[in-house]
Amino acid sequence: MNRALFAAATGMAAQQQNLDIVADNLANADVAGFKRAQATFAAIGGDASLGTAATGVERSFAQGKLMRTGGPFDVALDGPGFFCVERNGERAYTRAGSFARAADGTLQSADGWVLRGIRIPANALGATVAADGRVSVTVDGRAGVAAGRIALAAFNAPERLRSLGSAVFAATPESGSPRTLAAGGDREPKVAFGMLERSNVSTIESMMEILTAQRAYEANAKGVQAADEMLRIANNLHRS
Amino acid sequence: MELMATAMHAAQTKLDVAAANLANVSSTNFHKSLVRATLGPAGLVAQRSFDASPGPLRRTGRAFDLAVAGAGAMRVRDGFGRIWSERSASFERNAAGNLIDPSGRVLLGGTRPLVAGPDATIDANGVVRDADRYAGRVSLTPGASLESGFLEAPNVDAVREMVGILVAERSFETAQKTLVALDETRQKDADDVARVKA
Repeated sequence: MNRALFAAATGMAAQQQNLDIVADNLANADVAGFKRAQATFAAIGGDASLGTAATGVERSFAQGKLMRTGGPFDVALDGPGFFCVERNGERAYTRAGSFARAADGTLQSADGWVLRGIRIPANALGATVAADGRVSVTVDGRAGVAAGRIALAAFNAPERLRSLGSAVFAATPESGSPRTLAAGGDREPKVAFGMLERSNVSTIESMMEILTAQRAYEANAKGVQAADEMLRIANNLHRS
Repeated sequence: MELMATAMHAAQTKLDVAAANLANVSSTNFHKSLVRATLGPAGLVAQRSFDASPGPLRRTGRAFDLAVAGAGAMRVRDGFGRIWSERSASFERNAAGNLIDPSGRVLLGGTRPLVAGPDATIDANGVVRDADRYAGRVSLTPGASLESGFLEAPNVDAVREMVGILVAERSFETAQKTLVALDETRQKDADDVARVKA
């Protein structure tokens, strides 16, 4: 019978979930290339008003601000798309462009994701990356020696990518397969060298979301209390 | 006494609806239900209705989050070919470039599903552009204007629902107390009748 009790409980669960996602966004606010997520909810039960249920998590791939870091192998993408990375044969896609040179000449992220398409010669000095992703290094005093081209990819439905951790994503059947992305041209995204993309999390917005979620949780808890109180009152109908 | 029972029922319905409205305070595109109690020959009857008034638009910044401002609606088609009106939804591009809402319905441009590039923009008239090239137009009812990067928040007012919960609880309690009082009176009547007889 008591629908209100369950409806209010689903509301509490929803706000809890909401808060989890916001907390995750906030925790990753300083992670380069991180994309904020948002929990989405929909009514359940139609006319029967059974409350609410989570319908999923939606990620926003809106561009984060680029910041100059001066890191020797820091790259950022100005425009849509992803850097193609690889780890133990697993392919993934990311906008986090903080890489460091590994012993084998590849560029790796802190988590061990290897940037595809690049190999820096052992005796190379100072690398530069052009807007189209071409990497050139200075070898034995000769500048402009090609060291590969950063592989870039785009997806038809980036929002359906599967998150593999803080800012790395894998392709899914729903996202479509990656297509090669040209960069550097007039209307094309550009690779920015010596820069990183900040996360697109706004701390102020996240704080506001926390406050609203908290209050909504509280309101639903009152709903549970009221439903319980009414059950108590109903039980008092019969006095022996 | 039956009248009071119907009053308790009506208060319960009022609480059910208020709690469900409150639970959906974060559900995009949700429209609240209203309850109106009317006194008829069968006692107090709570009638539910649907409040279609638009909720406030909330900025999300996602290009494919679409909301109709003012009156009107977009048109979407489900898997069975049925056409639905939709006022706001967070659309996602599928692999074919169609825009799909969270229920899996496809956004129509004219009579056919719209095809948009990943970086397409949609203006207030529903015109979809891929890098400045015309790519179609969202079907809108005449006079409707479209906001890209916005979603319609639920039209639930948490304060009003809290008041609704309080009112429901107190009406329930009042009906219950009246019922108990009536019951006690009858009990007294029964006792008195028995005493007179004896």
